[in-house]
Amino acid sequence: MKLYRPVTVLVGLLFVMLGGLTRLAEPEQVYDDSNRVVVKGTIGEELDFSGTTVTVHRMKFARAYLTGDRDEKAVTTNGIYVALEYSTVRGTQDPPNPSAELITDDNTIYAPIGETWGGRIDLAEPGFAIDGAVVFEVNPDDVKGLTLRVRSTPFFTVLTQDVSVDLGVPDDKVARQLMDQATPEYLIPRGVKRVAS
Amino acid sequence: MESLDDVIDAMIADRVIHRHRRKWLIALALVVVLAVVIFFTGGWKEKQGRRVDTLDAPVTIEAGRFEVGISKAIIWRTPKTEYSEAKSRLAVEVQLKNIDEEDRTSTRFDSDLLRWVIPGKDPIKAENVTCKEVIGYILVYGLPAESCVVEFKVSPNFSTDQVEIGVLAERYTADSGLLGASEKPYWHNEQAKAVVRVPTTIETEIEK
Repeated sequence: MKLYRPVTVLVGLLFVMLGGLTRLAEPEQVYDDSNRVVVKGTIGEELDFSGTTVTVHRMKFARAYLTGDRDEKAVTTNGIYVALEYSTVRGTQDPPNPSAELITDDNTIYAPIGETWGGRIDLAEPGFAIDGAVVFEVNPDDVKGLTLRVRSTPFFTVLTQDVSVDLGVPDDKVARQLMDQATPEYLIPRGVKRVAS
Repeated sequence: MESLDDVIDAMIADRVIHRHRRKWLIALALVVVLAVVIFFTGGWKEKQGRRVDTLDAPVTIEAGRFEVGISKAIIWRTPKTEYSEAKSRLAVEVQLKNIDEEDRTSTRFDSDLLRWVIPGKDPIKAENVTCKEVIGYILVYGLPAESCVVEFKVSPNFSTDQVEIGVLAERYTADSGLLGASEKPYWHNEQAKAVVRVPTTIETEIEK
């Protein structure tokens, strides 16, 4: 049997060209992959995150934070802390392991602080809700267009849902006002689990 | 009885063996000579020594997405008490700044990026990096340098007046797209950047 007939080679070439064509068809997306659907919203809105809902209730600026452990000093910063108080209600679908980050108009990405409480967005068991807070250390001169992104990292490249919450900092003036009202110390609340109502 | 064919075969074999005998002998002799030369000139040796600069503390180095300043090192000794053994730790004071112009992303400083270099031995990895008493502190792009402490394990009665700390720098490169990986560059693939000589003092602390 002849293994490499011209037709076989042609079919191979066709597949290679098809691969190239799909790449051409992909839109020029700079910050997101083409397999991500972003649900956009604002503070107070219940946002769907693959069957789970995420709500950001309020945003607070703080000059220092406390974790609530015994005899612990407040952790201060050269910048400023942003605390987002959220609640999540876990749906029946498998939750896509959320990771939270803040992004600004200058494409600076802020990650949550490295603490047990306030370091991530928590999800409870299906049918249960968690009220908690996630805290970020940010550069006060770079908060224009502050947006929370809750991203999921699926193991395979499947259609993924992300959440993007506009935190309402349209310009530096608003940011300055928010920072003037910053609390001197923020006590990070521990996540409270309750039955979703 | 031997046939004529066998005889001819034997003759041909004889010729074939003898035809290249001289070349074979020369090649063999060359190998022997090479072996002798290498043996007497010291043999194949693993490359020793540093390929990066050795600097004196205090110094500030740009290493990948971080700016690392190294100032001093302290060996903290905890004397033994009735309930616990004596122990000590080497704490190196560093100033870390996130200068990630490419990704502008907050990230923690990987403790693998600093090594305690001891000549003739494998470099020792750091135990942890602590900033503001938080292990795994997230360094924010755009904020000034944070003062942090890098800890190494040492034996209880270890003493020295100087340690050498190797700084590794990650590079902002992409994996090869030929192997099917994404061609987006990211920070990885750390390489030695410099070695810093740090004066070390010994201090005693009482266990809390």
